[in-house]
Amino acid sequence: MANSLNIPGKFKITSPKTWFRTAIAINSATRLSRRHIYILPTRFGWLFALLLLALLTGSINYSISLGFAMTFLLAGVGAISMLHTWRNLANLKITAGRAKPVFAGENAVFEINVHEENNRARYSIFASFTAGKPDVQDITAMGESTFKLTLHSQKRGWLKAPKITFTTEFPVSLFHVWAYAETECQCLIYPTPSLHSQTLPSIDSDGATGQLSTTQGDDDFAGHRNYQFGDSPKRVDWKASSREQGLLIKQFQCEASSTLWLDFNATTGNNVELRISQLTRWVVEANKLNLKYGLRLPQLNIQPNNGDSHYHQCLTALALM
Amino acid sequence: MATQKIPNKLEPSQQAIYWLLISLSITFTLYAFNLNNWVPASFAVFAIWRYLIEKNNWPYPRLWLRLPLTIAGGVAVLASYGSLFGRDASVALLAVMIAMKLLETRTKRDFIVMVILSYFLTVNILLFTQAIWVCLAILLALFSLTACLISASYQNASNQKASNQKASYQNASYQNISLQNKQALNHTQAWKVQAKLAGKLLLQALPIMLVLFVLFPRIPGPIWGIPQDAYSGMTGLSDSMEPGNINQLSLSSKVAFRAEFKSTIPANHQLYWRGPVLWHQEGRRWTMTSNNINLPTETLETAGVATDYTITLEPHNRNWLLMLDLPKVPSTDSLPDEAAIKHDMQVLSKLPIRTRIRYEGHSFLQYTLGATLSDYERTLALQLIDDENPKTRQLATKWVNEQKSPVDIIQAALSMFRNQPFVYTLSPPLLGSEPVDDFLFNTKRGFCEHYASSFVYLMRAAGVPARIVTGYQGGEINPSGNYLIVRQSDAHAWAEVWLQDKGWTRVDPTSAVSPSRIESGIAAALLDSDLLPLLSRQDYPMLKKLTLNWDAVNNGWNQWVLGYDQNTQLALLKKILHKDIAWEDIGLILVSTMIALMLLVSYFLLRNNAAALDPVKKAYQQFLKKLSKAGVNKLAHEGAVGFGERAAKALPDQSIEIQEISALYSSIQYAKHEIINANKTAAHCKIAAHNNHKLNLLKQLVKKLKLK
Amino acid sequence: MKNVTDAIIAKTNEVILGKEQQIKLALACILAKGHLLIEDLPGMGKTTLAHTLAQVLGLQFQRVQFTSDLLPADVLGVSVYDRNTANFKFHPGPVFTNVLLADEINRATPKTQSALLEVMEEAQVTIDAVTYTLPQPFFVIATQNPSSQIGTFALPESQLDRFLMRITLNYPDTASERKLLQSNGGREQLAKLSAVIDSKQLQALQAASHEVHVSDALLDYLQAILQHTRQSAHFNAGLSPRAGLSLKQCAQAWAMLAGRDHVIPEDIQAILPSVAGHRLVSNNTLTSNADNIAQLLKAVAV
Repeated sequence: MANSLNIPGKFKITSPKTWFRTAIAINSATRLSRRHIYILPTRFGWLFALLLLALLTGSINYSISLGFAMTFLLAGVGAISMLHTWRNLANLKITAGRAKPVFAGENAVFEINVHEENNRARYSIFASFTAGKPDVQDITAMGESTFKLTLHSQKRGWLKAPKITFTTEFPVSLFHVWAYAETECQCLIYPTPSLHSQTLPSIDSDGATGQLSTTQGDDDFAGHRNYQFGDSPKRVDWKASSREQGLLIKQFQCEASSTLWLDFNATTGNNVELRISQLTRWVVEANKLNLKYGLRLPQLNIQPNNGDSHYHQCLTALALM
Repeated sequence: MATQKIPNKLEPSQQAIYWLLISLSITFTLYAFNLNNWVPASFAVFAIWRYLIEKNNWPYPRLWLRLPLTIAGGVAVLASYGSLFGRDASVALLAVMIAMKLLETRTKRDFIVMVILSYFLTVNILLFTQAIWVCLAILLALFSLTACLISASYQNASNQKASNQKASYQNASYQNISLQNKQALNHTQAWKVQAKLAGKLLLQALPIMLVLFVLFPRIPGPIWGIPQDAYSGMTGLSDSMEPGNINQLSLSSKVAFRAEFKSTIPANHQLYWRGPVLWHQEGRRWTMTSNNINLPTETLETAGVATDYTITLEPHNRNWLLMLDLPKVPSTDSLPDEAAIKHDMQVLSKLPIRTRIRYEGHSFLQYTLGATLSDYERTLALQLIDDENPKTRQLATKWVNEQKSPVDIIQAALSMFRNQPFVYTLSPPLLGSEPVDDFLFNTKRGFCEHYASSFVYLMRAAGVPARIVTGYQGGEINPSGNYLIVRQSDAHAWAEVWLQDKGWTRVDPTSAVSPSRIESGIAAALLDSDLLPLLSRQDYPMLKKLTLNWDAVNNGWNQWVLGYDQNTQLALLKKILHKDIAWEDIGLILVSTMIALMLLVSYFLLRNNAAALDPVKKAYQQFLKKLSKAGVNKLAHEGAVGFGERAAKALPDQSIEIQEISALYSSIQYAKHEIINANKTAAHCKIAAHNNHKLNLLKQLVKKLKLK
Repeated sequence: MKNVTDAIIAKTNEVILGKEQQIKLALACILAKGHLLIEDLPGMGKTTLAHTLAQVLGLQFQRVQFTSDLLPADVLGVSVYDRNTANFKFHPGPVFTNVLLADEINRATPKTQSALLEVMEEAQVTIDAVTYTLPQPFFVIATQNPSSQIGTFALPESQLDRFLMRITLNYPDTASERKLLQSNGGREQLAKLSAVIDSKQLQALQAASHEVHVSDALLDYLQAILQHTRQSAHFNAGLSPRAGLSLKQCAQAWAMLAGRDHVIPEDIQAILPSVAGHRLVSNNTLTSNADNIAQLLKAVAV
């Protein structure tokens, strides 16, 4: 996706509808099925085997019948624990949870929901991406837990969750059981806001300067004026009028609706990524100043607005450009 | 391997150390009986120290403290055992090292290594003792250790957090994300879960243990040399006799052997269990003939019916197998362990008896032994060290000069014991440099070996061939098991004299002094019975009964658990399979049984056990199954009523029934007074009945529903 | 009870043609004592619906057309100086009524919007340190144009939560539209419409809807739905506990309209799009919420 961006003006993704198609196909649930669970003894497992061997030779050498019994009991514990460790992981259902969008360079946090459906509590289940730090959770019988796995994001766009490794050594750490799961989980990565910001472009021609213009409005009280015929009685300031100064009308003003257009063509430079980065920075700043802003991209215009969902809409458009 | 490593450096929760301390306390208590006292004492010190570290957050001791401690431990073992090897020393060394390792047991890895070492230490107690209660204590310790293993393996957010914080604060943001909403098990829950799981593991391991125990081919040990001190704890008759060493044995209530009779148990005075036969006299000491003496076996003529019995002999680290006087051995095949019969009718195994063994005996109570006496035998049977005990020799010479026959001489000697004030006692006075003289003419107080040895001395001095037989006399009948218990306190010594035409004849001089010893056992014979071990006394009937029951359990334990060896194994398999099993076939049986067992266990452990359905849901499931066969499947998210409507449309012929069932199910599930909440109080009874009625109706409707 | 509700619905149906589902939803909302938001394009009969409902239920009705210069005082009321008594006299605003129709609420400034929403929450007005209680029952039926229309102030998500339900009317089907065209429109009939019940009876109905039984099994299902919205990748944020409570109350009212004394999962499924639709923020701002809710219902097993 990012490769094609080197040719300005030619984008793969053209409309919001297609963005959605690249998005999530979440409903698929993965199950850690029996055939895909692997098991090997841990170092402690080998040590335990050595212990059994030592006990067995001891029992044979000294002909201690009870020694055989104890050795076999421990061997039985080993064998049973293998099954217990295995079933601690078996048959878990995994569904993709949500992943909040982050800016490139931040850590994306994927939520992975794991459901227990065998009416058995599971303990000490580790989940991790191949390189990442593991998250550990218990899962109650017939319940579910949410694993939170972090992944460092590098570039804008969709970040697909890599293969997840589930492991466990519970209950006795003699065996290491693991299984891989692929989920459809993905996290939207916004472009990194540029560090060296150009100043916000000036307000559009039909707006004004971005400063307050005293157009008549109804946001803030701005003083009194004398009653004129035709004024709404609702605007009469009765308290002030009662001071025998004749009827006074409350006057209000509001901020001129200053509309800011953030235009891709207004950014300078040859590197598309840098330009997107700059736009991102502007969007972040405009949102911080609570300005009404629109976004003009080569293939897409987003009408001016403000608020959270508009902010995320703009960032999404930039991320997927 | 591309798998994710699970961190091993984390500190497990507090339960782990407590489980470990509990199990090691049990183990070291057991060792307190078998090792030098300072070993368990040092454990107590380290355990308390470690406990305080946990409780008060004391710092762990540093290397400069641990290293000298370790060296000191090694030196202490070396000093008290004289070596670092050998059974006792190496076990002591392991025990001390484990006790000290407590001080550096903190991470998951430490705990697991520690548990595995402790498993080894705990099972090693069996080298010293294998009683039932020890076995139970070991099981308890193994349970605690398993629980410790589980608790060390349990990792959750909280202990990960703790160690992460100790490690660094670098990943603070990561932790914040991953540690929200974590509900680690709380303490009581954790104890419960761990204990339950440990119990589960051990119980589920039990069938595997049983199969392996019964079927695992038993290779007779030892594979290599056994340390010298391995059998120091075993007691039994010695191969020589001096005044004093049998009455030492009499103080022990340890079981020597148990005998089961096929027919009735003979009377007490006939129960002479033959042990070592002593020929050579050297001062106070009497010893056996050499093993390679090459004398022909004495001839044996028997009369009457044979007495058959089976003996379970406790290990005593000597070669003799005890038999009832007098054993007839048709062939050596009937004897265990390549045993052979010696010329003087004592049965000896090739190797010392170091494990409990079982063998069958075949004896005659009426017999004539050694009808003829060769010159060599006569010389041996008359051997005396010259110039000792002049008074005794004088007495013997006097009897010979009176022209008495050998039988008269025997009678004279016995009547002397009977008529003069001889006393049978467990605490005889020490004898002087002429022991027989001193005993016969001075102290007149002695135990069986005094009487036997002085009697044989008298006989030999009077020219009557005689020898001492040691062994056990009597035994205690256990009604709970109908067998005889013979204890070390039943050890006895008697004499055999050779008479023309009668051969070797048993004479028990003790019976002349104390007839009750032979008729009713040692407890009846001794006045000063407090010296006897508690179990051999006769004063506490209740206690006696209890102990006899307990001994019956022990006997079973000994036979079937401790004495389970290759022979028992083959015999058992033969009994089960009704055919002879070769030793090599056991392996095959073992493997096939184990595979079958593991499959079975796996099935039970790994099957998907869905939550149990209540009867209402069950009935509804049946309904769904029927509809599904007719081609209408309920989607997971569909409600009962909605689905009923859809199904009714699809199957218009049964639409009324389908909707009725759906509505009924829906109303049972969602309307007031659910069936699940049916309490037993009076007010609720009506509701419960109403619900039951509804449920029955549902069941009936579902049953009646017929779809093509 | 069922007769009464059926009569109400039938009567309303005479005026608003072919919208039985929406009428039932609106009635359920009122029975659950919640405020209703009707969102649709102009001319779809939003105002008529609100008006009809008020009329049929025998309630006092006030209507305020929201515009960009409407002030909070225009809705709540104002204290006027009375020269005769030399005192301030409170002139109650249109909010002092049983049913307040807030027409095109998204045309007013946020200030006025929030003033109204505050009243909706507390059912009382405080002006110059004097508190005036609103008559009971009181509810607001607000209508709104879709926010994409120019010159509007969309209600923020936090404010949307104050409305128990949000419904849309949509175009009528051909038969209903034909009927509508044959008549002179609903307004004419509206004038001759008589009340079916009075406010006392309405309060009794509201109380009865609270009594509809909710079993544990149903609460399990409800919680599964809540849980799913909180974990699903479809939604930015899950449903709040208050939303859960709203779901339950609406389902109770819905069950009562169906003449049942207990709630079944189908009730929840019926009201979920209206109750949860405006509270769930879709993860992807570019998708319709209806799809997501349908997905949600499919994903949770009964």
